[in-house]
Amino acid sequence: MKRSRAPLVVTIAVLIFFYLPILILVINSFNASRFSSTWGGWTLAWYARLWHEGEIWHAMQNSLIIAVSASAVSVVIGTLAAFALHRFDTRLQKTQYLLIYTPLVIPELLMGLSLLLFFVAIGMNLGLLTIFFAHVTFCISYVAMVVLGRLQDFDFSIIEAAQDLGANWWTAAVRVLLPLLAPGIIAGGLLAFTLSIDDFVITFFVAGPGSTTLPIRIYSMIKFGAPPLINALSTILLVVTFLAVWISQHLTEEKR
Amino acid sequence: MASTNYLEFENVSKHFGSIRAVDRVSLSIAKGEFFSLLGPSGCGKTTLLRILAGFENPNTGRVILNGRDITDLPPHQRRVNTIFQSYALFPHLTVRENIAFGLRIEKRLKKEIDTEVDRMLALVQMEDQAHKYPDILSGGQKQRVAIARALIKKPEVLLLDEPLAALDLKLRQRMLMELDLIHDEVGITFLYVTHDQGEAMSLSDHIAVMNLGIIEQIGTPAEIYEAPRSSFVAAFIGDTNFFEGKVTDIVGHEYSRLTIDGFPDVLCFNDKHISAGNPVFLSIRPEKFHISRDAPPNSNKRNIMRGLVEDVIYQGLLTKFWVRVQEYRLSIVQQHSRFLLDEKPIRWNEEVWISWHADDSFMLERYSESDEQLVSLPPENIGDVNGEAATPE
Amino acid sequence: MKNARSHLNELLVTLPSLLWLAIFFLIPTLIVLAIAFKPTDFYGGVGAGWTLETLRSLGNPNYPAIIWRTILLSIATTIICIVLAVPTGYYIARLGTRWRQIMLLLIIVPFWTSFLIRIYAWKVLLHPDGLIKKFLASLSIVDIHTSLLHNQWAVLLVMVYTFLPFAILPIYAAAEKFDYHLVEAARDLGARQWQGFYKVFLPGIRRGLLTAILVVFIPALGTYLIPDIMGGPDAEMIGNKIAQRVFVDRNLPHASALSALLTLAVFLPMVAVLFLQRKKDGSEPIIKESA
Repeated sequence: MKRSRAPLVVTIAVLIFFYLPILILVINSFNASRFSSTWGGWTLAWYARLWHEGEIWHAMQNSLIIAVSASAVSVVIGTLAAFALHRFDTRLQKTQYLLIYTPLVIPELLMGLSLLLFFVAIGMNLGLLTIFFAHVTFCISYVAMVVLGRLQDFDFSIIEAAQDLGANWWTAAVRVLLPLLAPGIIAGGLLAFTLSIDDFVITFFVAGPGSTTLPIRIYSMIKFGAPPLINALSTILLVVTFLAVWISQHLTEEKR
Repeated sequence: MASTNYLEFENVSKHFGSIRAVDRVSLSIAKGEFFSLLGPSGCGKTTLLRILAGFENPNTGRVILNGRDITDLPPHQRRVNTIFQSYALFPHLTVRENIAFGLRIEKRLKKEIDTEVDRMLALVQMEDQAHKYPDILSGGQKQRVAIARALIKKPEVLLLDEPLAALDLKLRQRMLMELDLIHDEVGITFLYVTHDQGEAMSLSDHIAVMNLGIIEQIGTPAEIYEAPRSSFVAAFIGDTNFFEGKVTDIVGHEYSRLTIDGFPDVLCFNDKHISAGNPVFLSIRPEKFHISRDAPPNSNKRNIMRGLVEDVIYQGLLTKFWVRVQEYRLSIVQQHSRFLLDEKPIRWNEEVWISWHADDSFMLERYSESDEQLVSLPPENIGDVNGEAATPE
Repeated sequence: MKNARSHLNELLVTLPSLLWLAIFFLIPTLIVLAIAFKPTDFYGGVGAGWTLETLRSLGNPNYPAIIWRTILLSIATTIICIVLAVPTGYYIARLGTRWRQIMLLLIIVPFWTSFLIRIYAWKVLLHPDGLIKKFLASLSIVDIHTSLLHNQWAVLLVMVYTFLPFAILPIYAAAEKFDYHLVEAARDLGARQWQGFYKVFLPGIRRGLLTAILVVFIPALGTYLIPDIMGGPDAEMIGNKIAQRVFVDRNLPHASALSALLTLAVFLPMVAVLFLQRKKDGSEPIIKESA
């Protein structure tokens, strides 16, 4: 049967659409010219200038502190949640599922505003701690969904086999369940890490003075600053993200 | 066989919501025996096995193994091990590590574990594959690893949950023989769950046929085939012809005369001492008939009648006939003891004589309305006599 | 398992996330709804007592236009995303394993990369000195003085760019499970190619379509950053108004009232779709595929 070529054409167009802007941005970060449309030769000058921008390094430090701590906490909570969702089929889990699923689809803006109002209402000072709470909140849902996806392919008779062979619940969890779920858990953690380090909207609402993160810094540079510096900074962030995707993909593939 | 009550289920029931998966089952199994639980899916056989393994707690009843009540023990404290239907091999461990798992949990000495694992690898002939991971093994190899992994624990009972279901026919037959050999070699009690009567018949010392959570009959394979206690067993094991009738007369100690709609008097063996006037089923296995072109010699224990051949299926080893007698369509199987081409074979649309000995048929009491469906089954619903195919799901 | 013990186990693994999300998601959402009924005090904070005044101020003639634009842009984004995602999802689903994984990775990567950076990349491209502008001007398609930035079309373009991966993943997931013999059967029974597509394939992946619509349309309604960076005053959406009330006017009750409206707009389609696909498996595909 003859197959239409349209899907192929659309797919290629979509990929170009996805990657062309990013590619041009990366190339421009090495462009000696200040203007993106003229090529002034290769340079690393913008990266060198980044090196001397103290504020950027401070923002990056903040971002890293939050991304590491928020992904660590959300991995633990999200994994437990995924496990509960998979293992039990009760009313409680239906509520839990709804609570975990909703943050994935509602606009970030709503979550940002509601958290801001919440922190204002309980009189909490805005800063790194409020950003941490906010990031854990949206990361839990992503981690839970990634781990849940892994659990769905998981043959639970393997746990029964371990018990059957003399392992108690705890031993079975540590020696069989955890090693088998590890790739999924790490993938979830990496996703949480990149989401946290990239997040702007929610962070913008709950950040306070002195808690500027990298995306907030980039935002003010977009509004007021020098394009070539943003290009260089964005490229660094992109590399970090690609690495995370690559590692997580590698982990999931090795399993198969 | 040693004591007959090595493993005992006493009045065990398990409900899931309103469903009675296992309904007041009592069963005892002798030490060293190969015992099968046979029945269609959903009959409760797997639940019974999981109760013994400790994955399900029964609502009522006790499970006693080797004189010890194990009803409330968690799975890891029971000396029974399971071969899972999906094998449930640990994908992150090699064959060797899979087999060693149970002993490592016990924290045995490394040297001791190594010797035991080597012995098991030899038993299941997997020495060459010891360092492979399960996902590259074939179905039969996975099966062997699963067996070795369970046997290394020296269980008091080995539980096998449909272990051959995932294999293709050829491999299934080979593993069947290997299982038999392994059972002979290790001398452990095997409890085997299957829906395949062929597997159960060829392996078991005893079979319990289950249906809707209860045990219909326990017996040796021959007892269950030749003298089924209920119409379910008669229909589930092998292939049979059912007639609805009524006992009219008792003849001597062991025989009764029946009337069946449209037939003259039929003589049937009556070991169940069903009294005159009772409604019964008459059941005759297809291979018990004799079919011929000429009238068979008269004998006082042979039932003889005439019929019309409606269908003939030649299968080499045997030939299947469907013969119309009055309103019944009988399934008849004949083996060829002589070279077929020398004879003039019976063909479609021929008038034939059929006969059977009174001892070769049996009567079953009719209890329920649902039994009525069994009468004159259309041919496609009738199981294969070799026990290879057509198992009710 | 013993019943009571299993119940305790369930609570132990459920409580951490349940408590966290109750405190940091459920309660804050309820607070937004509550503050929408509060008056504003002189400092832009939350005043005492209850009032409908804040909600009533949404009748301000400014808003209907913005609400209407928000809905239109979201619908347009959803339609374009679906139109692009169906052939792409189909194409990827029919590839061999190796290529399929590469393509999936290519679709997932933008999903992981910074939203802000991706918007910025377009700003650079569409900039008056940017490549696209120069290219189009040299072909005389646009006048050298027209701005590609700061209008609704720029916003729509970047919205499609942002939400397209969200649409492709669930459609791919559904297309991968689809049995393509059904299309062959339809062709065999006399259907033309487009009929096979329209009458068999699309209904076959409707679960994925529903999810895709949901995960594009809902976040699109709350878009704020894209018009903020790409758009001008005539491309503002509700999200921008909410942010202005928070960061510029410091009028929290007003921001809450707008958010309450947005929440309502978000939950209606969500409840509708969740209702349409009651079964659990269909409603969680966005992330499952990226695992």
